[in-house]
Formats: sequence, C-alpha cells, structure tokens
Amino acid sequence: MAEPAVQPTHLQLFLGMQQVALSSFGGGLSAWSERIVVEERQWMNKEEFITGLTVARLFPGPNQINMAVYIGSRFRGLTGAMAALSGILFLPFSVLMLLGLGYYYLHETMAVDRVLAGVITASAGMALSMGFKIAGAYSRDPAAMVLAAASFIAMSVFHVRLVPLVLVAGPLAMAWYWPRDVKP
Amino acid sequence: MSAGVIAAATTTALCEPLHLGDWRSLLGVIWDFLSLSLFSLGGGNTLLNEYHHMAVDQYCWLSSRQFADIYAIAEAAPGPSSMIVGLLGMGAAVNEGPLWGLLSGVTAEIAILLPSTLVMVAAALSWNRLRHSPWRVAFERGLGPITLGILFAVGLKILRISDHDTPAYAVSLVVCVLMLRTKISPLWFMAVAGVMGAFGLVNH
Repeated sequence: MAEPAVQPTHLQLFLGMQQVALSSFGGGLSAWSERIVVEERQWMNKEEFITGLTVARLFPGPNQINMAVYIGSRFRGLTGAMAALSGILFLPFSVLMLLGLGYYYLHETMAVDRVLAGVITASAGMALSMGFKIAGAYSRDPAAMVLAAASFIAMSVFHVRLVPLVLVAGPLAMAWYWPRDVKP
Repeated sequence: MSAGVIAAATTTALCEPLHLGDWRSLLGVIWDFLSLSLFSLGGGNTLLNEYHHMAVDQYCWLSSRQFADIYAIAEAAPGPSSMIVGLLGMGAAVNEGPLWGLLSGVTAEIAILLPSTLVMVAAALSWNRLRHSPWRVAFERGLGPITLGILFAVGLKILRISDHDTPAYAVSLVVCVLMLRTKISPLWFMAVAGVMGAFGLVNH
C-alpha cells in the first residue's frame, strides 16, 4: 500500500465523516462518502475506496459505519476508527434520538398514529425488497438457492434464532464453497 | 451463574417489563446486544428479527406495532437505518424518564457497534493478508446465500407486523416493486403512504 498523499488527523477524520453524514441527509450515503473522501479531500484514490467498500460489506456491521471505520483505521489505527465512527454517527444519531423521544411521548396522539400507520406500510414494502435486491446474484447457483431457502424456512417457519442458524449453516456453507481449485 | 440463567428464563416466559434501573438486567441487555453484533451480516438488516424477538417477545419493551413504527422512523431518518438499536434501547427505558431513555439508547447503540467495529479495524489493518486467504473466499461465498434467506425472513416478518388489511398489503407490494424497478427515493414512498394513513386509506 503506497503512502497516501494526505494523512488526515483525528480531527479531520471526525469532521470529514461528519460532512459525509450531513451531506447525505435525505439519502445517498455511499455516493457522498466517495465524493468527499476521494474527490474533495483526496484521502484515497478510487481504487482504494472500492477496496474499502468490499471489506466493509464483507465483515459484520452496518456497511456505511464499517466504511467509516475502515477509513479511520487505515490512517490512524483504532483511535482513528473511533474518530471517524463518531463523526459519521454524531449528527444522525442525535436527530434519531430526538425523533425517538418525540415518538415515545407523542405517538398516542391520533394524528401521529394514523400517519405512522401509513408510513409503516411503505417501510414494510422496503423491507420486503431487501431480499429480492440481492437474489439475482444467486439465481444460477442451485446450492445457493437451497441454502437460502433452508435459512428462510428455518427462520420463518421453525422460528430458529439467528445465532444458532448462522453457527450451523455458516460452517456447512463455508465447507461447500471452500476454494478447492486454488493451489496453495 | 446458572441460577441467574434460570431466573432470566422464568422472567422470559412471563415476559415482565424489564427494569433497567436494576444493574444486573441492564448488563444482561448490554450483553445481548454485544453478542448479536458479530452476526450482523448483510449490513445489519439480518438482525431485525432478533431485535423484534428481544424487544417484543423476550423483554416486552415494545408492542409489535411500536416495533413497526420505530423501524419506519429509523428508515425515514437520515443516516444508517441500523441505528434502530438506539430507538430500541430508548424504548426499553423511556418509561423511567427521557434521560434514562437517552442513556439506554446510547448504551444499546454502543453495545451493538463495538464488537463489529473492533473486527473491522483488525480487518482493515490486515486486509492485504486476508484478501487471498481461502477463509475469506469461503466466508464471502458461503454466507451470501444464508444472508439472502434471512433477509426474506426479515422482510416477511416486518410485513406481517406492519400490515393488517388488504389496502396496506397492496401499498407494501407496490412499494416493494417500485424499490426494485425504479430509483425513486424511498422517502417519497413513506411520504405518500403517510398521507394515505392520515386520510384513513390504510389502517393498522
């Protein structure tokens, strides 16, 4: 890994990620993240940024938060990760907490309750679309479809909890997909 | 230790609302979130069924309807929707006052993010060695289909707790199709559906 031209400080990491969070009020977090980190501040080139996204998606945790952690830790290690994490979370989380207080103290008001009854039908549709969005990538792989169907049935029909499901199905799936044709 | 587990199981069966002023139950809840953290595959949405189980069935923090409400709020609010954990934590303690609610929300969010963040730091720092490892390949290809199955289970669960009449299901299905076929911002769907709710066109 070549030394990047700019080495952001902890404060710059915090402020940069805060700018990403602020810009993306209304959506498009990923696009804003690239625009600010790659184009405006030039902390990484595009290739490095895409590598970061790959790592962020691969490992557990919310993708955008993982991406901030990746950026922070690449420049300043653990403390850099914490600075970037605080930057991306501080404003949106504060807004969310205010909305939450509003909700818990006001939701019994008739108007709020009826509006929310409508909004949840839309968010349920959004939740339903999550699976379909990534299904295409697996549709030509019968083993993947069997694994997906088995996981779905285990959870939806037999109410298996996530942790035991992943602990059993995960190793089986990893054994099936272990790269055999790669020579050491 | 085992006595504590049995006591916890008994409480679970009756599902009494948890009092977070009791530091032992507070630590138990923090542990629940910490231990779920590393199972947040596919960006964290795979955890939604577990959150529902915890908050509604296990600890009685929220009703199913309230869970559907805070899911919608987390989706509509700016920032990553996985911050719903902050709202869950808040719901757990909000009866004891807004300050406890805030404290509990922040604590829950830190607990769910801490383990995955530490793993992510380690991954970022050792990625050059990891990227060609057979473990990485098997993990990526193996966990993908499982994530897919779980996301369908989560979608179905949210649909079930959110919708109770035919118009509501119809709106959800239309939104689902539009999400897949168009690039319209989801905020529009929520705004339109919210107006429909206000006029009583869809009911819970």
